[in-house]
Amino acid sequence: MAVVGFFLVFMIVPVVATALFSVSVRWDRSIWPEGLTGQWWVKVTSKSAFKSSLANSLFVSVGTVFLSLVLVAPTAYWVHTRLPRIKPLVELLAILPFGLPGVVLALGLIRLYSGVPLPIINTANILIASYVVITLPFMYRAVMNALEAIDTKTLSEAAQSLGANHWLIFIRVIMPNVSSGVVNGCLLVFSAAFAEFALANLLVGTRFKTFPMYLVEFTRFDARQASALAFMSFVFAWIISLSILWVVGWRGQPTRGAGQEKPT
Amino acid sequence: MMRSARWAWAGLLPLLIFLLAFEIAPIFKLVASALTADRGISFANFGRAMTPTMTLAFANSMALSFVSALGGTVLGAIVAYAIITSRRSATRNALTALADVTANFGGAPLAFAFIITLGSTGVVTLLLKEVGINLYPAFRIYSIGGLALAYLYFQLPLAVLLMIPALLGLRGELREASTSLGATKSQYWSRVAIPILRPSLLGCFFLLFANAFGAYATAWTLTGSSVNLVTVQIGSLVRGEVQFDPALADAIAALSLLVMMICVAAYQLLVRNNGATGK
Repeated sequence: MAVVGFFLVFMIVPVVATALFSVSVRWDRSIWPEGLTGQWWVKVTSKSAFKSSLANSLFVSVGTVFLSLVLVAPTAYWVHTRLPRIKPLVELLAILPFGLPGVVLALGLIRLYSGVPLPIINTANILIASYVVITLPFMYRAVMNALEAIDTKTLSEAAQSLGANHWLIFIRVIMPNVSSGVVNGCLLVFSAAFAEFALANLLVGTRFKTFPMYLVEFTRFDARQASALAFMSFVFAWIISLSILWVVGWRGQPTRGAGQEKPT
Repeated sequence: MMRSARWAWAGLLPLLIFLLAFEIAPIFKLVASALTADRGISFANFGRAMTPTMTLAFANSMALSFVSALGGTVLGAIVAYAIITSRRSATRNALTALADVTANFGGAPLAFAFIITLGSTGVVTLLLKEVGINLYPAFRIYSIGGLALAYLYFQLPLAVLLMIPALLGLRGELREASTSLGATKSQYWSRVAIPILRPSLLGCFFLLFANAFGAYATAWTLTGSSVNLVTVQIGSLVRGEVQFDPALADAIAALSLLVMMICVAAYQLLVRNNGATGK
C-alpha cells in the first residue's frame, strides 16, 4: 500500500501544484497561496499568440491524423489481406520511428531538404509529414491489432460474393469492424502531434508557433501564465487519454504502452 | 493473376514513397554525410565528435537514461505488482487509468510542473522548508539529478503499463507449487518469478533507456542548455547556436541513432522471446 501511495503522490502532486499555482495571486513566500485569482488564465488566453498557436497546433494535429489515416490505414489493410508475406518488412518500417529521436529526425530532414526548392522546409507541411512518421507506430499498431482481431477473409469474401469491389469492402465492411482500433490510433496520433515540441522547435522554429512552443516561451518569463498553459496541456492530455480508454473499453488490456513517450 | 499481383504491390506505393521521403532518406542522408569527410568514406567525423564536451554529453545522456530507466523499471514493476494484486477492481482500474493518463504527460508542461513543485520556490520545496528540511542548495531541479526525477515521472507509468501484462502472465499456480515444495517468499521471487520475468524486465529497461535517451523537450524546458545532453547538443547545432559544423552534428546524430537502434533491437528480441508477455 505504501507503494501505491508513493505512486499516487508522485503522479498527482506536480499536476495539482501547477493547477493551484495558476490560480494563486502569489505563491513563492508562504506555505499556502496568497489569495486566489483567475487573472493569469484571463491574461494568457486573451493574447492573440495564444489563439494563433492553439489554431496552429490544431491544424497540424488534424492534418497529421488525416494524412496518417489516408496513408497508413488502407496500407495496413492491404498488407494484411493481400500481401501477408511482406508483413515483417512493413512492420519494421512502422516500428523504426520508435528508435528515431525527434531531434535526429529533424536534423535528417533539414540536411535532406534545406537545399531543395520545394515548399517544405520551414512550413507546416514538413511538420505534418514528420509527425506522420513519428506517430506511425501508434496508427499502424492500432489498425493492425484491430484487423488481426477480426476475420477479414470471411468478411471480404462475403462482401465480394454480394458484388462489392475492394474499395467498397474496405470502406463499408472492414472500416466499421475495425473502427475502435482506428479511432484509438487517431486519438494517439492527435495527442502526440499536439504535444510535440522537438521537431516543431527545430524544423520551423518561431515561424510557425505551436502550442508547446508558446508554453516553453512563457516558462522563460511568466511562471503563473505558463502554469495556466501547462495545466491546460495536462487537462487536454487527460481528456484524450480518457477518450482512448473509453474507446478501447476499460476491460481491454493496455494495447498502447510502447512509445507514447514520443512527445518528450 | 500476374496483373492482380502487380496491382497488389501498387497498393503499397503511397506509404512506401512517403516513408522513403520522410523516414528512410533523412536517416540515410544523415549517416552518409556523417561518414563523408574530404575524400570519400571516413570515420573522421566520428573522431572529431569525441571532443570532451561531446563525450560528456554522451556520458550524461547515458547516465540519465540508465538511472531513470532502472528506477522506472524497478519501481514500475513494484507498482504494477501492487496494482494487479489489489483486491478491489475499482482500485485496479483507477490506478491503471492513472498510469495510462500520466504516460502521456511529458515534455514542456511536465518540466514546468516540476519547476512549480520542486523549484527553488516550488510548492514542495516550501512545504519541506516549513518542516525543517532544506532542499536547496544541496538539490537542484535544474540539474541532472532533477532531470532524472522529472524523467521518472514519464518513465514510471510507462513501465507500469509494460509490466502489468507480464505480471498477469505469471500464473498463480507457480507460487502455490513453490510454496507447497517449501520455498519461502524470497526464494519464490529469486528462483521462480524473477527468472520468468527477466526478459520482460530487460525489455522494459531498454525501451525506457531509449525513451530517455531521445527525450529533448523536458530537458530543454527544465534546464535550457545548462545540462549537457546529446539531444540538447544536437538541438543547439541544428539551431546554429554554437559553431557551424554540420558534419559534426551528423556524426553525433548517427551515434545516438546507433544507441537507440541497439535499445530497440534488444527490446524487440527480449519481448518476442517471451511469448507470454508479448504485446
